[in-house]
Amino acid sequence: MDNGIITIGIDVGSSYVKTVLLSYSENIEILDHHIEKIRKRNPAIVAEESINFLLDKNNLVYEDIVYLASTGEGEMVERKKGHFYSMTTHARGATFLFNNVDFVVDMGALYVKAIKIDKVGRVLDYKMTGQCASGSGQFIENISRYLGLAISEVGEMSLKSKAPETPSGICAVLAETDVINMVSRGISTPDIVKGIHISVANRVIKLLNSLKADGTIVLTGGMASNIGMVQTVKELAEKAGLNPDNIKAHPNSIVAGALGAAIWAGFRYNKLNAKALSN
Amino acid sequence: MSDTVKKEKSMILQKEMIGGLFKELGNTKESGKKVVYTFVPGNLSELIRSFDMLPVYPEINALQSGMRKMSGDYIKEAEKWGHSEDVCTYVKCDIGMMLKGNIGPTGEKIPDPDLLLLSYTGCFTFLKWFENLEHLYPGVPVALIHTPYQENGEITAEMTDYMVKQLKNDVIPKMEKVSGQKFDPDKLKTILQHSADTEDLIAKIFDTTKNVPSPIDAYFAGVYYIGPINIGFRGTPEATEYYKELYKEILERVRLGLGPVTPEGEMEEEKYRLVVEGPPNWTSFREFWKLFYDMGAVIVSSSYTRVGGVYKNGFRHDPDRLLESLSEYCMGCYTNLNLNQRVDLLGEEIQEYKADGFLVNSIKSCNSFSAGQLLIMRTLEDKLEIPVGFIESDLVDPRYFSYSNIKNRLESFFQMLEQRKIMVD
Repeated sequence: MDNGIITIGIDVGSSYVKTVLLSYSENIEILDHHIEKIRKRNPAIVAEESINFLLDKNNLVYEDIVYLASTGEGEMVERKKGHFYSMTTHARGATFLFNNVDFVVDMGALYVKAIKIDKVGRVLDYKMTGQCASGSGQFIENISRYLGLAISEVGEMSLKSKAPETPSGICAVLAETDVINMVSRGISTPDIVKGIHISVANRVIKLLNSLKADGTIVLTGGMASNIGMVQTVKELAEKAGLNPDNIKAHPNSIVAGALGAAIWAGFRYNKLNAKALSN
Repeated sequence: MSDTVKKEKSMILQKEMIGGLFKELGNTKESGKKVVYTFVPGNLSELIRSFDMLPVYPEINALQSGMRKMSGDYIKEAEKWGHSEDVCTYVKCDIGMMLKGNIGPTGEKIPDPDLLLLSYTGCFTFLKWFENLEHLYPGVPVALIHTPYQENGEITAEMTDYMVKQLKNDVIPKMEKVSGQKFDPDKLKTILQHSADTEDLIAKIFDTTKNVPSPIDAYFAGVYYIGPINIGFRGTPEATEYYKELYKEILERVRLGLGPVTPEGEMEEEKYRLVVEGPPNWTSFREFWKLFYDMGAVIVSSSYTRVGGVYKNGFRHDPDRLLESLSEYCMGCYTNLNLNQRVDLLGEEIQEYKADGFLVNSIKSCNSFSAGQLLIMRTLEDKLEIPVGFIESDLVDPRYFSYSNIKNRLESFFQMLEQRKIMVD
């Protein structure tokens, strides 16, 4: 670790709280991160516990952190010093993970949002899925539960599919009924799972098309850590005339929002410091 | 924001007017006044008034039930009666209210209709609604005008003739029979002059949003401003007085450089100026409004406040062309415009009122408003290159208002507006 200041970014989602501990200097370095499932608990308490967990694990105390920034639903985080919009943080997180990013697709539990950014990570435009849960990570999680699978298994499982069966792509309730019907027809689990990945990935491609996406596209959020989902997005992107090699996901994609918040935290702290000094 | 909201004189006037109307409706047995059930879009308030009859607007009752958190139960009552979840929630709320005794917003019973008058048929649901009312009030005469849609974006002389014939041959004779009074063109002429005066004032009021900061919110406060004309006061001297007072108060706000008044006091900083398409949600109206004023967002124009008349394009009731003018009013209502006309109107407003963005609140159960809204939004986005947003809710069914979903979408939209502003500045 160099002599950078230490910041924390915390992204409160509807299913998980993601926390990143960062050393911020000219060489930004992720010191540690933590992902905690909310499991019907109070998200504000889960957030506090996540912060304490990272501090304890790294032998730090809260006073060592110069700036704690929240994003997502993180306005409820008590110890935060500032809050950033999720599009800004996902964009910043993605530009840290990859160079020359043109589009970011935040694939979360509640919705998918495609974001067009400029070279410095500013948001130029965005499109997001409608209210229906059929385009969300929660949908994949629900179906996995019906099929008796852990969410961590579905990605790998989908890669084994030979003849995917795609459910309704417009309504989560209809899709769930389709899945029940597929099970009773004896469709294999990998084919069902691949089908639901296709259903969600179709929505991603639709959003990218409406933004006339081209260039490097980085997937972030919980679904970006699902190997089967990344693969399916690449396959459908190719069919839609996009270069699949330009679709990128990183092992840290799931914490991109928290990472972006931690980076913005460092930036804002330095700005505020500089302002205070000039006064 | 300041802590208290001062009651302006216009607010007191409006409360008195509306309270008085419902009192009058509660006293019809004693006064012998006849009651006409009709709808806001393309309404014939002036003609009803010229026969000394009183109008009742079921949509207004429904939205007030929504604001008073009573619509959920009324809707369930109508669903028990056999209406599907997909039926317009204004209809179900209205029918549920009737089934539960027809008690109006002031606690007084709304009298049964003496005439059912349908003067706008652009909304197919209205026809079905009236079929239901006919069953609920057997034997009550029905007057129905077929209002031609502005398919080619214009009102032709033939369309007006067609409407005038229906007024002459069907509506007026039925009104004469129900009211027991002869049609009096001179009386209608006086009423239409009041309407034109009121309409001039309304156009001026909604034009004050050209100012920066805008002195009013043309959507959330705008729905209160259009209350008197949409509840049957158009064509009355009281309405002209109310709008004169309101305009005076707004001009004073402009003079002092003040922003709009919200339920939590005066808005101190105008950060974003928006044009909104579609009706608001009534069941969570305050929460919905708060999502905007907390972000410093002011609505400088909304299509919904034109639902009872599009005066922006110059239309005024004309005392020298009685029935022709009433006909043109019916055909000129906002949802009777074709999609190109709606795009043009909204586009002009976005530019004229210097809006930073355009937002659609798409209403699940209102087909006449919601059909084509995505096309309208995309066309405006391409044409004007402004940030656009799309949220979904419902009129009076609380089950379709998802606070976190709307908040989430609005936050992304506001972020986009902020980014765009930074780039422009």
